[in-house]
Amino acid sequence: MDSVVGECLVAFIFGSVVGLLVQRSRFCNTAALRDAILFKTFRNTKALLVAMMILTIGFTGFLTVGEGNPMHFDVGLNQVVGLFLFGVGMVLAGACTVSTWVKTGEGNVGALWALLFTFIGMFLFSLLWTVNFWPPAASSMTGEPNLEALQLGYSNAATLQEKYGIPAIVFGILQTLVLAAIYKAIRRKEEAQHARHEATMQAKEGSTPSAGPQSVAAD
Amino acid sequence: MSVVSGGPQTLAEFFKKTLDPVIALSAIAVLDIFLFLVVGAWTVGGGETMMTGLAAELILGEEAVARIPFWSLVFQPDAGYWKIYISLGMLFGAAVGAIASKEFYLRLPRRLSEWVLITLGGLLMGFGIRLAFVCNVSTFFGLTPEMNLGGYLSISGIIAGAWVGSMIYKKILEG
Repeated sequence: MDSVVGECLVAFIFGSVVGLLVQRSRFCNTAALRDAILFKTFRNTKALLVAMMILTIGFTGFLTVGEGNPMHFDVGLNQVVGLFLFGVGMVLAGACTVSTWVKTGEGNVGALWALLFTFIGMFLFSLLWTVNFWPPAASSMTGEPNLEALQLGYSNAATLQEKYGIPAIVFGILQTLVLAAIYKAIRRKEEAQHARHEATMQAKEGSTPSAGPQSVAAD
Repeated sequence: MSVVSGGPQTLAEFFKKTLDPVIALSAIAVLDIFLFLVVGAWTVGGGETMMTGLAAELILGEEAVARIPFWSLVFQPDAGYWKIYISLGMLFGAAVGAIASKEFYLRLPRRLSEWVLITLGGLLMGFGIRLAFVCNVSTFFGLTPEMNLGGYLSISGIIAGAWVGSMIYKKILEG
């Protein structure tokens, strides 16, 4: 799309629908990770996995025929460290980038505060970047590994297709199968949790047969 | 209005009941594929960075911000950057959903410890996004589905970070 106004309009419409759907579904990316780790509940994790499966097929399918606008920049150690800090931060704040906006839209002042300090964190990083200029700016990226700058270069399903002559969608199907296997493992875990819960409830009911009548008599 | 088969059957129900997140995220994924074809995959961190630059220009002045190399070499503040409008759209869409479902009301963190955690969490998120060039949305809804190496690096980082954050959170909950 060439028009700046058109791009911004499409982005706004997309964002509006996303905001509405996230608000109505109570989906939260933070909960998708935190609840799986702490509480062994997977409501949001399953939704995230399903979305990733659909997206993998869609993106790699279009990349196979040379369509789409993939993100293009070199990656390296900064992604691991940066997202590590982000992961700690989102659990402490109780919201990620999506839920800060969505919860702010619901009137949550804490989310607005988190958003404000996300901006301040970004600005502080911009000051620190002046000291070491790391990670390298996009203009100095080559797409090739640059180990001195702890950068591994650029690669995605399209570059794999180019390098090995295998359609990008084939890699996408493999990734989708891995995601589906994780989804299935979660479902099995949930079924086992449910079965344990049922068994505990039945055992409790079985061990207190006289509790009911006594209570009634007491009334 | 039938929203999604298996989901709410009327518009009134849509704003009354909680939507299944699998249905919501499936719909978002389809829209994200469309966005990927038109401009690029869903992301939030880039738009937030641009808003930070624009806010800094407003507060500190254009000249002062231009003297910080990051804002000339990495992100030149530009109000016409499409990613800004995804975030503003999310805010708008969520407000519409909250008002229509009568779920809009002011909520304030009650304890000082909550304010401290949110402040620290926000700072870490902002710093982390800029260090990584990506946020959680680009990780799960952009890079990884594109099978970009950065997606796998980011996922390993965010899972480790969420685990550490969860352990800290657990300690706090346990007092």
